[in-house]
This record gives sequence, structure tokens and C-alpha cells, in this order.
Amino acid sequence: MLTKIAGGDIIDPVNGRLGKGDLWIRDDKIVAAPAGGAAERTIDAAGCIVMAGAIDIHSHIGGGNVNTARLLLPEQHAAHQARPATTPLSNAGWSTFQTGCLYAKMGFTTVVEPAMSPGAALHTHLELADIPIIDKATLAILGNDDFLLSMIRDDASSQMIEDYVAWTVASTRALGVKVINAGAAAAFKENVRTFSLDDVVPSYGVSSRKIVKTLQAAVDSLGVPHPLHVHCNNLGSPGSADTAAATIAAAEGLPLHLAHLQFYGYGTEGKRRFSSAAARLAELVNATPEVTIDIGQVMFGQTVTVSSDVMRQFSARGSAQPKKSVIHDGDGNGGGVVPYSYGKDFYGTMQWAIGLELFLLIDDPWRVFFTTDHPNGAPFTAYPALFELLMSREARTEMIAGLPKSAMALSTLAAVDREYTFEEIAIMTRAAPAKLLGLSDRGHLGAGAIADIAVYRRNWSIAKMLGQAAYVFKDGDLVVQDGEITHYRWGKALRLNPSPDKAMVRRLEDYHQQRYGLSLDWFNFPDSAIAREQPFGEVACRT
Amino acid sequence: MAVAWIGNRETLVERAAAHAAALLGSSRCPVFSLDTDIHGTRAAIALAERVGAAYDHVDGAVVSRETALFTDKGAMTVAPGETRRRADVVVIVGELPQIHHEFVGELSATVPDLSAPDLSAKNQREIFLVGSNGTSAPPLSNGRTATLLSCGEASLGATLAALRAQWKGRQTSQPVSNFDDFTKALEAAHFPVFLFSGDATEGLALEMLQGLITDLNRKSRASGLHLPASENGWGSALASTWMTGFPLRTGFARGFPEFDPWRYDVARMIAAGEADLHLRISSSIVQPQKKQTRKNRMALIALAKTQEPIAGAAVTIAIGEAGVDHEAVVYSGRTGSLRSIDARAASELPSAATVIRLVASHVSAEAALPC
Repeated sequence: MLTKIAGGDIIDPVNGRLGKGDLWIRDDKIVAAPAGGAAERTIDAAGCIVMAGAIDIHSHIGGGNVNTARLLLPEQHAAHQARPATTPLSNAGWSTFQTGCLYAKMGFTTVVEPAMSPGAALHTHLELADIPIIDKATLAILGNDDFLLSMIRDDASSQMIEDYVAWTVASTRALGVKVINAGAAAAFKENVRTFSLDDVVPSYGVSSRKIVKTLQAAVDSLGVPHPLHVHCNNLGSPGSADTAAATIAAAEGLPLHLAHLQFYGYGTEGKRRFSSAAARLAELVNATPEVTIDIGQVMFGQTVTVSSDVMRQFSARGSAQPKKSVIHDGDGNGGGVVPYSYGKDFYGTMQWAIGLELFLLIDDPWRVFFTTDHPNGAPFTAYPALFELLMSREARTEMIAGLPKSAMALSTLAAVDREYTFEEIAIMTRAAPAKLLGLSDRGHLGAGAIADIAVYRRNWSIAKMLGQAAYVFKDGDLVVQDGEITHYRWGKALRLNPSPDKAMVRRLEDYHQQRYGLSLDWFNFPDSAIAREQPFGEVACRT
Repeated sequence: MAVAWIGNRETLVERAAAHAAALLGSSRCPVFSLDTDIHGTRAAIALAERVGAAYDHVDGAVVSRETALFTDKGAMTVAPGETRRRADVVVIVGELPQIHHEFVGELSATVPDLSAPDLSAKNQREIFLVGSNGTSAPPLSNGRTATLLSCGEASLGATLAALRAQWKGRQTSQPVSNFDDFTKALEAAHFPVFLFSGDATEGLALEMLQGLITDLNRKSRASGLHLPASENGWGSALASTWMTGFPLRTGFARGFPEFDPWRYDVARMIAAGEADLHLRISSSIVQPQKKQTRKNRMALIALAKTQEPIAGAAVTIAIGEAGVDHEAVVYSGRTGSLRSIDARAASELPSAATVIRLVASHVSAEAALPC
């Protein structure tokens, strides 16, 4: 089918298209305007802006820890309305089905679950497969697993480590690799309670820094498009900005992505010894071109923190609200689920302000990514309000007026004038994520791109405008109209597929037999186990 | 081989599915009880939404106890693999289901290979059993026996409470047997693990156990290994949680999912005469339908691995067994996650998911089922 999206304001920074024009779709792809072609369907986009479908690089939407959070908190997501007949299960509380629908309504068409435990890969992919409409991807967690730590301890060759990383990525159907508080989960099992970049994992004699550097090199050498995705040590601690600064410095010229930097933007000034170090971190990021970051913005209200940083989650149990939590020692990382409510008190305000400072003080929208670390800083449903705060100084000023002055005095936010433009929003939420993940087929509106398109009707309220898309196309299917789902479909999980080394597979088979008393077959699965047609889409590694 | 019946009359599967759909469509209060794999569960929940049914596990009380630990209290848990590799002290809490006995035996026959614990001259894990005098442990290797921690005939909950109190140096009305041995073992331990299940352990006992584990973690490390009473039941609970946001004992009576462990206790709904139609999905033996009474006029649709109609069932459709007749995804207590399994003796019997989708295809609706 040939479709014309007519007369919208097109914002496509990748192809330098900015201004009123038409956009053409043939079936599932964007095409150049056909000579004399007559559209079979015309979408009137007058008064609208037209962008590529948005991409979220870090949102905990599925997998063991997320599901445990749902299980822990049935009271937090009671369904409140009858289902529309055309969207089965999509109003089912905090479910996979609702996740896909809510993202699509905001114009998001690809979302990355950033923390998949390799041993729970099948579970994760089954959940992702039940998220409708959008494409998904996931990052495999390494860096607390005995196999890797033992190899590093024993000075295994870089080739062997790359073979292991490649096998993990391939067998778990991942799009990249994440390391979470490298070494800390292993240390926590040996009763270590705090762990920094140069601390050493007991029994292995390997430092956190060494683990990060080893994985960074392996990911780069394998040509994994997405740089190593790092959840640093000391998340949430006063003074954690020092850890983040040390980790940024450790990039040493190779690409490195730091997740949810807001949670490390904490200094130790003021009488509470908790202050904003955002300006310092922003300066470091600006000066370190090989580093990219996402924010993990905090928004006020109830949420639940879900993390494979089991040491940090254990230490946060006392602040659980409501007072219950789950702490799991997994084969590698494990994880923790601690419900939490961000109040408009000194600490909550400080966190809120630090996130916004980072957004606004980091100059390059190609290197800063739009996330709330869903659900850790806030549910992703807070995105429209966050867009408004980034694009409107007035909205920030109004908000600041109702917040504790003691907190704002320790932040530079009130003095920041910058307002994000739509072009910068298009870079930060479309073009840059596609580049960072190696997804050349999306994030822009050039001919040949898949037809993932979001059309927003202009409105005085940025939150309303970007919260309910006028039209959303996914692979050329019109899936949202006037903020409502019009077509239910199933996306794919995007994955890399490096060829695993046969000797490494044999070695891993022996390892699993000896250590777990189980064959590797217990952890592998065929694509057919997902029970969807074409559950995966393959992405190429860099050559 | 006949694979479907309406009443006692053999029929085509397609016709039986259509009849089942008609019964579901006319039911005012349908209930589903499940004992099936992940894809069977997914299909059943999608159908439940369409017909406004409530669903539960066939042995719902046990799964509900385990679920309640997480929904009401939270927990500290550990993976089975990490238990095998790290646990230098193993504490069996109450009687464990038969399906986990082999793993307990394996724990008793192996030693940890992580964190280099001092296993003393015995070179084996210390194994304790919490329970009353009659509680039996799974068979251990080399004829070993677990050291019993009991307060005579006191309940498991009371024994755990006494154990926790004594550990914190408080007075108890009755001391726990072999407590000194337990203390000595824990003081030397690097990573003690408590094995528990909801099978024979009431909810308050599970909470008390978690309290003890929390106390131990103030200064050292310990955790609990959840060995679900029913692997299918726990798998269904996980699938239900991601699909609806809620575990089992969820109902769609009002068109959207509501979790209520009392109201949607399917066994209770049947016993109270609230349900008028029961869809039972289980490849295991299905009990004959009880004779209908004035109070209970409930019809039964049985999906079961059977060569004959289930007595009293309005519709019977034969299904295969997951991992025997067809490949499947199931929860594994051995890995603590979902696992893909091949068919051991592949047959032409359809999976539960296939039959449920066939039934659903006859229920009028605007949209296709999502799974």
C-alpha cells in the first residue's frame, strides 16, 4: 500500500529534513516521493510534526526482576477500566500487553530492556514477545558470573573472553552487553557490603575496574554496535559522583555507555551532605566524546526500584515503601525489588533537579539519552511531563516554585535557561538511540528506513502533544490514531547473532556439567519456544 | 484413537471445541483450573479474558501460599545453581515435595565449589531439618541423616519462631533440639541456604522463615531457596503475572483483571456453587465430575490426557503432556527459571494451548486472541 503523510512539519535531523512536506510509505518502508504516484491512503498531517518512531534505550519492561516487582506489588497497578475489544489484555494493569500499548500511544516504536540475566533469557524473551506493537531488544548481563571472573583471574586470553561474550550474546538473543556494579554481586555473596571501582572481588582477586575494562574491550573487538552498557558502582550514595567520574575517565578512548547517570550525580555538600554534582559530571561528559549516558530522571510519586544491583538493593531495603522487598542472589547478578516513593522533600527534589541539570548541561543531544530508568526513577508514563520540563523553562520554574528551597540552593537548575528544541528531541529520542544501538533502519525518515513514524498534533501543552500521538505507524501499519490503539500487531526482538566458537561451547558444556550438574541444554532454547511467528530480527555486528 | 467427546459421545475435536465455546459463551460464572505449561497458561488466560472467567491452579491453595509470601511480605531468595555451588549449610524447612528430593540428594552428595568454605574434616555440607518429630527429610547420600531442629510436636511455624528467638538470644517456652549444633554450623558458615516450599508450610511459617533469614543477614549472609510445590503452578503464576499484572486467582468477571485470592479461589467458587462452568486443563488424571445437585449445577469441560470421556463432563478433549507428547516451556525448580523441553515421546495429541486456541476461535470476538 502506498501512503502519503501530507503537509506535516517534518523533523528528520539525520537527513537534514526540517520543515513542511510530505512523507511517503510503501508497505513497511519509507520511500522517496513517487513520480506521479497516487497515494492509496492519505494522512492529513497539517498542523502536526512528523518524526521517526521514538526509541527508548533503557527501560525495564520484562524479565525475571520486573515480573517479581509485579508479583510483589499487586496493589500498585489495579486495572481501572474495561478493555477495548480490539486490544486484548492491554488494560490489564501493569502487564506486558499494557506496556506495548502505552509506549505506542506516545509514539515509541522500539524499546530496550537493558538487563537480562543470561540464565533467564527464555523467560525474558517470552515476556518481550507478549509486548504488542513495538520492537524490543535486550542486553545480556555479564560481570558477576563465575565463568567470566574466573577467566579474568586466570589471565585468559582476550580471544577466549571474546568467545564467551559472543556465545552469551548469541545464545541469549541479546543486542548488547551490560555490566551492573561489576563484581559487587559476587562480593555480596561473600558478605561484602560496599564495593567501588578499584575494590577486589574476594576469591577472584579481580577488581571492578578490571571487569569493566575487560568487557569494554571484548564488546568493542567483537563489533557489537552498542558500547558496553555500564551501571557503575555506588549507585545512589552521597559522593557517587566520584565513582561516575572515575568510570568516565576509565573509558580511555573506547566507547562506553553509562546508564542512569542521575543516580550518580550526588555530591556531599550542605548540612545533609547530599548535593548536586551534576554540573561537574556534565562537564566531564562534554569533555569525553567516547562516553554516552542516559539520565534515569526522577519524577515525583510512587514507583518501584528494580535492579540487578543486588548489593545496592539490599542496602535500600530499609527505605521500602510499602515495607516489603525481594532480594535474590542469582547465578550471576540476581537482583532486588524495592518499592519507593519519591516525595517533594529535600532528597527527592535534589534527585529531580540533578537529572534535569544533566539533561540541560550536557551539550550534545547525540550523547545524552532520554530515560527514567523505568520504573526506577519514574514509570515511563511520566515521559510526556518530562518532555515538557526539558522544552519549557517556564514549566520548570513553575515546578521549582513548589519545591524546597534548601534543595534548590544546592543545584544550578534554576539558573539554566536552555530549552530543548524539537530537533534536539528528535536527535535524543530517535536518531541518537538508533546510532548507539546500530539500528540503521530506524531513527530517521530517509528512503529505505522502516516506516516507524510518529505524528503529533501541535498543542500548547507539550505533555499533551507528545503524550498522545495523532498517528503512529509501526512497520507501515497504522497502529495509533488520536492517541488510541487502532491495530494490534506483534513486533520483534532485535538481536545480534555472532557465531559461537565451537571450542567455547564444549568448554561451557563441561563447565555446566561439573558446576551445576546440568547439561547446557537446560539453558538453551529454540526460537520456536517463543511461539510467535518470526520472534527475532537480526542486527549485524560492525565489521 | 478418539480424542474428543461431547458427553459420552465421540466426536470431532473441532465440534467438541465449538460446543465448549458455546458453553463458555452462555456461562454466567466460568472458572478455569490449570495444571499446564507456559503456553497452555497463556492461551487459557487469553480465553479467560474473553469469556470473563476466573482462573487458579488445580491445587490453588498451595500455590496461593507461595504467592502470598511475595505479594504480602517479600523474600530473600537464591538461585538453585548458586545453592549447589555455594551453600555450606543446608536447612530443609518442613517436608519438601517429592519432585525436589533428587536435588536435595544431589546437594548432600556434593560440596560447594565457590567461596572455599571450611567444611571441616567431614568435607560435606551440614544438613539440618526443621520440623516436628515426625517430619521426614528427602533421602540423603550415603545414608546420611539431617540433624533435626524441632520443638517436639510444635508446628513448623512455632518451631521456626523458637529457632529465630533462640538465635537472637531470647527465651523460648521450649528449646529447639540440636540448637547448639545449628549455632555452631551457622557461625562457621559462609552461605547457609534454607530450602522451602508452600506444600507443607503455612503462610505465617514462610514469613517467620524470612524473618530468620533477614536476621542472619544483618551480620553475615544467608538466603532461602524456593522450591515450588508445583512447578506448573509456579510457571502459571509467573505467566499470569506478566500477562495481567497479577498472579493466579485472578478473574475477569468485570472485563478487566482483578486479583483476589479469596474471591477467585476456584475450589471455593465451585464448592460454594458460585461457578456454573468449570474448564479443567490438566494432562494428569481428572476426577469424575461430581453429580449435579440443585445447589451445584456446574458443567465440566475437561482437557485431559485421556482415552475415554471424563465421567460427567459435558465436553472432554484429549491433550498431550508437555515434554512427553509435545515440546513445551515449563518452570524448572532445578534452574529457578523457565526452560524449553523437547517431547520425550512425541505423539499426535495436541497441546493444551492448541486446543484452547481452537475453543477460543469459536468464541465470538472482534479481535484475535493475543496468545
